[in-house]
Amino acid sequence: MRAPARALVFPLVVLLVLVTSAYSWKKEEFRDCNQTPFCKRARSRKPGSCNLRATDVSISDGDLIAKLVPKEENPEQLHNNKPLVLTLSVYQDGVMRVKIDEDDQNPKKKRFQVPDVIEEDFLNTKLWLTRVKEEQIDGDSSFSSVVYLSDGYEGVLRHDPFEIFARESKNGKRVLSINSNGLFDFEQLREKKEGDDWEERFRSHTDTRPYGPQSISFDVSFYGADFVYGIPQHATSLALKPTRGPNVEEYSEPYRLFNLDVFEYLHESPFGLYGSIPFMISHGKARGSSGFFWLNAAEMQIDVLGSDWNSNDSMWPLNNHRVDTLWMSEAGVVDTFFFIGPGPKDVVRQYTSVTGRPSMPQLFATAYHQCRWNYRDEEDVYNVDSKFDEHDIPYDVLWLDIEHTDGKKYFTWDRVLFPNPEEMQNKLAAKGRHMVTIVDPHIKRDESYHIHKEALEKGYYVKDATGKDYDGWCWPGASSYTDLLNPEIRSWWSDKFSLDSYVGSTKYLYIWNDMNEPSVFNGPEVTMPRDALHHGGVEHRELHNLYGYYFHMATSNGLLKRGDGKDRPFVLARAFFAGSQRYGAIWTGDNTAEWEQLRVSVPMVLSLSISGIVFSGADVGGFFGNPETELLVRWYQLGAYYPFFRGHAHHDTKRREPWLFGEKNTQLMREAIHVRYMYLPYFYTLFREANSTGTPVARPLWMEFPGDENTFSNDEAFMVGNGLLVQGVYTERAKHVSVYLPGEESWYDLRSASAYKGGHTHKYEVSEDTIPSFQRAGTIIPRKDRLRRSSTQMENDPYTLVIALNSSQAAEGELYIDDGKSFEFKHGAFVHRRFTFSSGKLISSNAAAPSTAESNLFSSECTVERIILLGLTPGAKTALIEPGNKKVEIELGPIFIEGNGGSVLTIRKPNVRIADDWSIQIL
Amino acid sequence: MCSFEVDYGNILSKNSIDENYYKGLSSGAIKCKDGSKKFTKAQLNDDFCDCPDGSDEPGTSACPNGKFYCKNAGHVPQFIYSSRVNDGICDCCDGSDEYDGKVKCPNTCWEVGKVARDKLKKKIATFQEGITVRRKEIEEAKLAIAKEEAEISKLKNEEKVLKARVEQLREKKEAIEKAEEDERLKKEKEEKARKEADDAKQEPSKAEEKTDAQEEAVKTGIHDKIGLLEDSPSVKDAVEGHDNAADEEQHNEAEQVPKESSQHPEIKEEPAPNNNKADVSSGNEEKDATENTESLSNEELGRVVGSRWLGKKSEKETESVGAGTDSDHDEALSDNHEEEHPGYDSDVDDHQDDDEHKYDDDDSEDQVDDFAGEDHDSSSHKSDSDDDSDFADTTTTTSPSWTEKIQQTVKRILRSVNLFRTPVNISDADSIRKEYDEASAKLTKIESKLSSLKQKLKQDFGRDKEFYSFHGQCFESKENKYTYKICPFKQASQVEGYSTTRLGNWDKFEDSYRTMLFTSGDHCWNGPDRSLKVKLRCGLKNEVTDIDEPSRCEYLAFLATPALCLEEKLEELQNKLETMNREQPQGHDEL
Repeated sequence: MRAPARALVFPLVVLLVLVTSAYSWKKEEFRDCNQTPFCKRARSRKPGSCNLRATDVSISDGDLIAKLVPKEENPEQLHNNKPLVLTLSVYQDGVMRVKIDEDDQNPKKKRFQVPDVIEEDFLNTKLWLTRVKEEQIDGDSSFSSVVYLSDGYEGVLRHDPFEIFARESKNGKRVLSINSNGLFDFEQLREKKEGDDWEERFRSHTDTRPYGPQSISFDVSFYGADFVYGIPQHATSLALKPTRGPNVEEYSEPYRLFNLDVFEYLHESPFGLYGSIPFMISHGKARGSSGFFWLNAAEMQIDVLGSDWNSNDSMWPLNNHRVDTLWMSEAGVVDTFFFIGPGPKDVVRQYTSVTGRPSMPQLFATAYHQCRWNYRDEEDVYNVDSKFDEHDIPYDVLWLDIEHTDGKKYFTWDRVLFPNPEEMQNKLAAKGRHMVTIVDPHIKRDESYHIHKEALEKGYYVKDATGKDYDGWCWPGASSYTDLLNPEIRSWWSDKFSLDSYVGSTKYLYIWNDMNEPSVFNGPEVTMPRDALHHGGVEHRELHNLYGYYFHMATSNGLLKRGDGKDRPFVLARAFFAGSQRYGAIWTGDNTAEWEQLRVSVPMVLSLSISGIVFSGADVGGFFGNPETELLVRWYQLGAYYPFFRGHAHHDTKRREPWLFGEKNTQLMREAIHVRYMYLPYFYTLFREANSTGTPVARPLWMEFPGDENTFSNDEAFMVGNGLLVQGVYTERAKHVSVYLPGEESWYDLRSASAYKGGHTHKYEVSEDTIPSFQRAGTIIPRKDRLRRSSTQMENDPYTLVIALNSSQAAEGELYIDDGKSFEFKHGAFVHRRFTFSSGKLISSNAAAPSTAESNLFSSECTVERIILLGLTPGAKTALIEPGNKKVEIELGPIFIEGNGGSVLTIRKPNVRIADDWSIQIL
Repeated sequence: MCSFEVDYGNILSKNSIDENYYKGLSSGAIKCKDGSKKFTKAQLNDDFCDCPDGSDEPGTSACPNGKFYCKNAGHVPQFIYSSRVNDGICDCCDGSDEYDGKVKCPNTCWEVGKVARDKLKKKIATFQEGITVRRKEIEEAKLAIAKEEAEISKLKNEEKVLKARVEQLREKKEAIEKAEEDERLKKEKEEKARKEADDAKQEPSKAEEKTDAQEEAVKTGIHDKIGLLEDSPSVKDAVEGHDNAADEEQHNEAEQVPKESSQHPEIKEEPAPNNNKADVSSGNEEKDATENTESLSNEELGRVVGSRWLGKKSEKETESVGAGTDSDHDEALSDNHEEEHPGYDSDVDDHQDDDEHKYDDDDSEDQVDDFAGEDHDSSSHKSDSDDDSDFADTTTTTSPSWTEKIQQTVKRILRSVNLFRTPVNISDADSIRKEYDEASAKLTKIESKLSSLKQKLKQDFGRDKEFYSFHGQCFESKENKYTYKICPFKQASQVEGYSTTRLGNWDKFEDSYRTMLFTSGDHCWNGPDRSLKVKLRCGLKNEVTDIDEPSRCEYLAFLATPALCLEEKLEELQNKLETMNREQPQGHDEL
């Protein structure tokens, strides 16, 4: 059903991919919607087919409670004849939660409700509903129940037809709704009858499905929206293209959310990848943003319905600025969150108040990481380490992939290749560097392996449908998987990271969780069977998308325990779920060394970023295959701006460390990496912003320019914070790139310092040493320009402040500093400065609320060595520093020393302390 | 910098280098070395980068492009990146790069210098001795080459003489054989007539039968003929008069096969095409295997899917259980290789021995042995019987080659047959045949020897023929479970147990004879053909010191050899030592 509906272009693209790459995605090994009965059923349902209405509305425990009952008995839909219970609650900051479950006090099988994701703090922000207002809307014969949501917004339960929505109080305009198209359906659990065949077969696998059909589906509508975004992880454009409707050509499959280890994924496919976040954010010029989150960890499929998708049998007049979506899940309950926005940053803040703010990384983790499958032995490690020094290229972390272990038994070392792992880590640490080893969730079934022995004895493994330990296949061969749904097992797992337990580890060692979808080579769709059993009789189908999350959580908690709660963990994971941002970084998995994969890395990282996972990146260079040198250089130039910046390569690829491609290319890659190190103070400040508000480090343009329609579907460029705009060069031998610079104000080229007009698309000339990158007028960005071996040695280096003045000769920016390692910042041990420039005067002031930052707990001795002024009216020769009444010179200097950048006005050696209050008046 | 003031004057004074350049500062501003800007004395080492090239900050970390000079008295002076200045890590042995007081770097130059000097002295000693060895080897090489050139011209003469002789004998032999044939036909005719008269119900004519059988024998080649001779009693007739045909066939085929492989003991080209074929087909197998995953067992499925990331042949994966993933792959490849080329290695070894014999002494006994070996070799190519390993074994172990045996058997049979039939003088015919056989065998032998000598002398033995002695040698090194075998001018391989993986065929010297290159080795699944670079270093004997696979299927080895002990380099080292000795602080000499 896929091919005929497509335009000619797409098959061509696919063909090209297949031809140019020696690899290919094994499509037939994964189920499409048609092969997935619940998806097929839900998709074939007609709008308006929901026959439920709400009754028995009441307020109880501060929630609005109602029953959903069928309007008339329909013998063919017996499973839907029992009533459902709806609970609507309201939380601070514009969040409405709607839960729907079966109305059975003592069910044989309780439907799974996702635990351990919602923040405790969030639950404490519940607004205790006391009043419900009855109202007739849209000419209904029955009532609707209306509750307060937040100032200016109301939550509405419409009884008949059944519909739930958030609306603006003053004009009744809907913001976000469920079941406006009447597609709601809830398959209730029922007794198996004679003749019922509940088994599902796919390829050689049989899913016993002992509980039968239990899927849920409903439509969600976003109003005042032009586009929807989010629901990672897919290798697609950031603005989600429609998957159904009259003019839908590219995709005919819904976006799938089912964590899978997809071998050589395509760069343009709605197919589900390694992680799942059922969170969608809408944006439109008419209203702004709203968000929707369904807390459900079973397989989910989501259709984005193109305009006119239901034009044949439309029940409601079509709204131009409305996006309809259809959400389908195999199991679980309805537990949904409405985020009213109205700005993109508001929605992200609201969403991360529910699922948790991103953790604050250590400074080293925000720098450059060098990885390869595999750095083979200690000699190899020392050699790579010293080559970075030899070529004066900074890096912070060296990674060891699976081959470092003894037979893929994690927490062990191949003692032939790594006889002295502690010494190795200590030697790197002496240069301020860290190491990362891989720890995957598959446990080798080997009697001599202590982890396996314990897990076996304690009964810690996931069971198969018959109740025996599930026995799968992964890197080590026959493997089992710990049941991390059980908190006891998670705690046991966490203990394995203690320095005593993990022999050969040091405090400089951090962890990488791969294959945590979980990947099972001989399982259905390369993962665990859905009828495998977890703690408390929960079927794997109910929590599949949560498995990797728990693994990430248990590992991160292990590092936390190891450091006695004082050392911020660093764990990179591949699989993820809503809330994974609390446990570490995520990367986009096994990409390929192709130009198109460089391009798609940006929407993939942005999609994660707006869904809470702010610490993410793609493998620089592309995991599979050998990148051409030019592609590798371009990837470094772009990757330097990913929140997570790591070079990585497959086992079978040629070595590609930055110094292997001739002096010129070494220089280009050194510069690219150096740019990242220069901006580390800025990145670190942005990570802190994310940590406190959820606002991502890498942002779609529309997040910073929500009123500029030209940015809504632009995913070639992105913002780093509010001050930098970066766009990759995605083609070979490009002479120029078309760059759209949003907003009214100018943009300053980071290399030439030339000003570019905002609100225009520029034909930007590119050379081999740079990609389009600009500082936005009106911002002040802190840098550290001195080149060092690693971020550790930069601690005491002086700052450079780059002030880009806007049309009113004003600018502002911030800087956050702490010890870069511990949690002391939570107790006020940090410096947070605000810089403002106006009327020719730069003022540095404390940005921290007086009670939060304690200057006696942490301070920085660092000074400012250079202040660069972009867009200043020429003529200034000196500046006056207060306090001290000291005069300093203003002269012409390069904007970027290493690359001989353009000439700019520079205040030379003001030497003010970064942590102090001061002002500098341009004379 | 964060909270200290730099003692700039001190730094400059340490930097004795570039004194002249910085002298200009005393009379005002000077230009940055790249000419881009100017700076004054006050700006020199003021911890602010004025020159993009770093020339105003030779003593601080202010310029990312700068270099810091360590005097390192007691050792050698050194430039380090300015990124190392005051970064908390001691880089210069004199500790001069860490002057901000945050860390204290002890001056270790004397100790470090002593170690370095001792090392250098050892190296110099190695070079001195190595140069002598090298000279000797060059002398020997020149003599050997001269001898071989003489041998070539001698052999050329012999070849010419022999060719004429063989031609003569062949004509004679043909004449005899024609006579024999005529007589036989005549006899047969008579007999046939008589038989027909005797019994009309006789089977189809023997003549026809014989022709069929003969054709078949020609088609299937020598290998099949053995079978026929041993197993089938009806073959007698078929073999009759076949001597000639077989010889001719041998000839033709020898001409078709490229010279190197048919006559030269180094069978360089042979395995490559076979191997490619093997890879292509295994690629198909892989495809099939993954497409039919539904029919696989659980464990097989796991292996097949897992193998994708590993870039392995899933079929092989399925067979070998549980072992380390790397070795699985290599095993898989080399297993194939082994199966396709049975006895390949032993062949090579045999010839190496032959080579050595050949050039040591030259008596006729040896030549006979040589002949046997070579004949066996060329015929084993023809036989196309690689898959029959039992057979191959027999051929490699028995000393009179099996072709010779066949020839003898054939002759024996012929003789016994002819005894009944030939009115031609038997002893005459026999002696001519024998003489012809001997002469043509000798010719083949000479031709082959000539060709192999020519081939050898065509090789690039280096500017001074210093690599002549590498010819015919293999250098081995054991690394974990692998044995690496590097045979210059031939090939390099990795041996694990019974399986051999070719890392490459000899390609050339590179990098002014400092690197040997082997390319087009066994193909890597999902990757390049294997290749090996051997970096050469001066050493007293030929010895592989290290071998590594920095990138998958791209190997790197180090070989110590006297051939690299060059006089220029020795001079350089001696100069370096002299400088180092000069840098020694006086006080330390008494220590």
